[in-house]
Amino acid sequence: MKPSSTVSWFCKCVLMAASVLAADRLATVAIGTKLQQPAATARDGSLITLNRYVQEPAPDLVLVGSSVAWRLKEEYFSLSRVRNLALAGGSPLTSLEIVAKQPRLPKIVLIETNVLSRPADRALVERFTGQEHSDAFLRPVRTAIAAYETWNHAPPDPLRVRAALDGVLSQPPSAFDNRVYVERAVNEMNADDSAAAVRTNVVLIKQLMAEIERRGSRALLIEIPLAPEIRETRAARETREIVRGAFPDRAAWLSIDAPLSELRWADGVHLDERSALIAARAIEKALAGR
Amino acid sequence: MTFTSWQFGVFVAVVFGVYYLPALRNFQVQLLVLASVFFYGFGQPELLPLLLVAVLGTWLFLALALRNRAIWLPGGIAFNLALLAFFKYKFLFVDSASALTGVTPVDFLLKLPLPIGISFFVFHNISLLVDLTRDNKNAPRLADIFLYIIFFPQLVSGPITRAAVFMPQIVPKRVDDVDFVEAAKWILTGYFFKLFVANNLNEMTSYMGFPLYETLRTQDRWLLVFLYSYQIYADFFGYSAIALGLALLFGYRLPVNFNLPYISTSFSEFWTRWHISLSTWLKTYLYIPLGGNRRGTARTYLNLMIVMTLGGLWHGASLSYALWGLLHGLLLVIERPFLALFKTPGPVVQFVRISVVFLCVTMLWIFFRLPNFDHALGYLHGMFTPTTNPNPTKLFYNLALLYSLPVMIQHLGLGALVSTSLRRWEPYLYGALAALAFLDAGPEAAFIYFQF
Repeated sequence: MKPSSTVSWFCKCVLMAASVLAADRLATVAIGTKLQQPAATARDGSLITLNRYVQEPAPDLVLVGSSVAWRLKEEYFSLSRVRNLALAGGSPLTSLEIVAKQPRLPKIVLIETNVLSRPADRALVERFTGQEHSDAFLRPVRTAIAAYETWNHAPPDPLRVRAALDGVLSQPPSAFDNRVYVERAVNEMNADDSAAAVRTNVVLIKQLMAEIERRGSRALLIEIPLAPEIRETRAARETREIVRGAFPDRAAWLSIDAPLSELRWADGVHLDERSALIAARAIEKALAGR
Repeated sequence: MTFTSWQFGVFVAVVFGVYYLPALRNFQVQLLVLASVFFYGFGQPELLPLLLVAVLGTWLFLALALRNRAIWLPGGIAFNLALLAFFKYKFLFVDSASALTGVTPVDFLLKLPLPIGISFFVFHNISLLVDLTRDNKNAPRLADIFLYIIFFPQLVSGPITRAAVFMPQIVPKRVDDVDFVEAAKWILTGYFFKLFVANNLNEMTSYMGFPLYETLRTQDRWLLVFLYSYQIYADFFGYSAIALGLALLFGYRLPVNFNLPYISTSFSEFWTRWHISLSTWLKTYLYIPLGGNRRGTARTYLNLMIVMTLGGLWHGASLSYALWGLLHGLLLVIERPFLALFKTPGPVVQFVRISVVFLCVTMLWIFFRLPNFDHALGYLHGMFTPTTNPNPTKLFYNLALLYSLPVMIQHLGLGALVSTSLRRWEPYLYGALAALAFLDAGPEAAFIYFQF
């Protein structure tokens, strides 16, 4: 290829690349990050959840936790201003710190205490507490899919949702055979030695709870029911003992009364849909009783 | 240092800038060797002595084999295969978790990690020994041998260039001779396929790992197998394209490693389109020396099975890789008698044949994705049994389609269209690909073939 045509080729190539980048930048300025992008992974899901939280007005009730609490979908609650910031595969500390560092707090923060061995995700905390700049460019394919999903899946009618959930509740408990998963989880949780990490995290939770309460909101600890076999594993027992030891005052806890015989876990740890619904309703009942 | 890191970009820019300086024209080979040593040692400096031993050992055997091929050529090949066997297959015999032998130097060697690219540079060494001693040429300069074996674009994952093809290219280079447009097209295509296609698909196919795959619905297990098929192609084709483009910048032409493999109408054709440099190497240095197809039908079949099984084991010491190679060998054997029947097939037969080959190749990738044989079988079992998990993973099919689309479009022949009737739009297309690779790159993931 002649030098002149080589230069011409590169000029056209760079011009096109620059045009696409400029168009994307303009779109980013116009749309921002308001459009929820589809979640291909658990982390994507976390970003969506937290992104929405920091952009909307503070709700009445916020739930922070791990994948155990993540199963309690927002639509399971009859209260309208509930946000579940539990992160699948994450730590309650991540969302708790993000919530505590926002200018406005919700009225009540519920903190799941089942899984406390993981540290806060610093990258997420920094991203959602204003310590990190937002992305200069949006991802075009993801955004296009997000627009399509938003257009294609309008928010469902609350009455219909309620009816569908009532239908789920009226069914008998699941007969899914989860033995193989429970056995694996029991082995993993018995081998887990995370007491030191739990102690560290409990101290941090205490500090963040004090901060939230000082600003006039209520922070309550909550334990979501686990399968009996999982409850007796080393990790579950140690976590329970440490957190109960650190928070002996019953007033710091929201005790929920969910009928164990009605609850089922897909893998011993995570509630199935019907059970999560029962747990959500039990939480509401306990809150109403306070 | 991976091809997708910013450090690599700086590294290439600096080396390229110095390489064509008139004052250094007589030291271009040495400069590339030094750069390649830096590139290799950047991540694993402790393995540089091994690379040195491999090259110097091969050079020594080459010098001896040029005097007496019958004795020293097998010695040189054995030396290289021993290196490969020691690092790649030692843990078939030694428990890595135990205290090993108790002898410190031996334990140090046993505990060394698998050197990146060992499978590739060992094959380069063998090619060097065989090609140069067959032609009975004089031993090349040590610097030339170093360059052939450790040239950084091809050091980690190939393409496996034959010595007979590479060595004659070692001559002084001029920047005026570089075809920058061709190099840019390879590099941009490579990065696009790696960053946009492979890395985004990798997010989804990560659910194929154990135990995550147990959360998948049956139909999603099928979908992910096909996505992995596209991913592994995009990943390895992307790497090879970048390597080819980079080599062109320095005046070297590496062999093309892929030629639209998923439109193959037979398994034998597939192996002339997929990882072509490995297939060529195996054919030249293993299949033909074993007798190829010259010793009757039964021996041909046996040779095919041996070559493909060893080709599978070359990827790693696991039953899954061996089975993957063995099954490919079996497919080659089964199709062989029927090939003559379809010499002039119509479009329908052609389409059916492409579909069958693609389906079989795709299914066999499961053994690649899950080297643990039990996990691979578990995944396969789940593809034929209904889902019972009450909380299955949700996959976005539209995302899967959009990220797979470039592979499909490429295989439908759009690339050829762009370089012919749509040629004037070509620079704009590459510009758009570059922008898209930057804007919608998936999360960082190592090249799949780095592990081999």
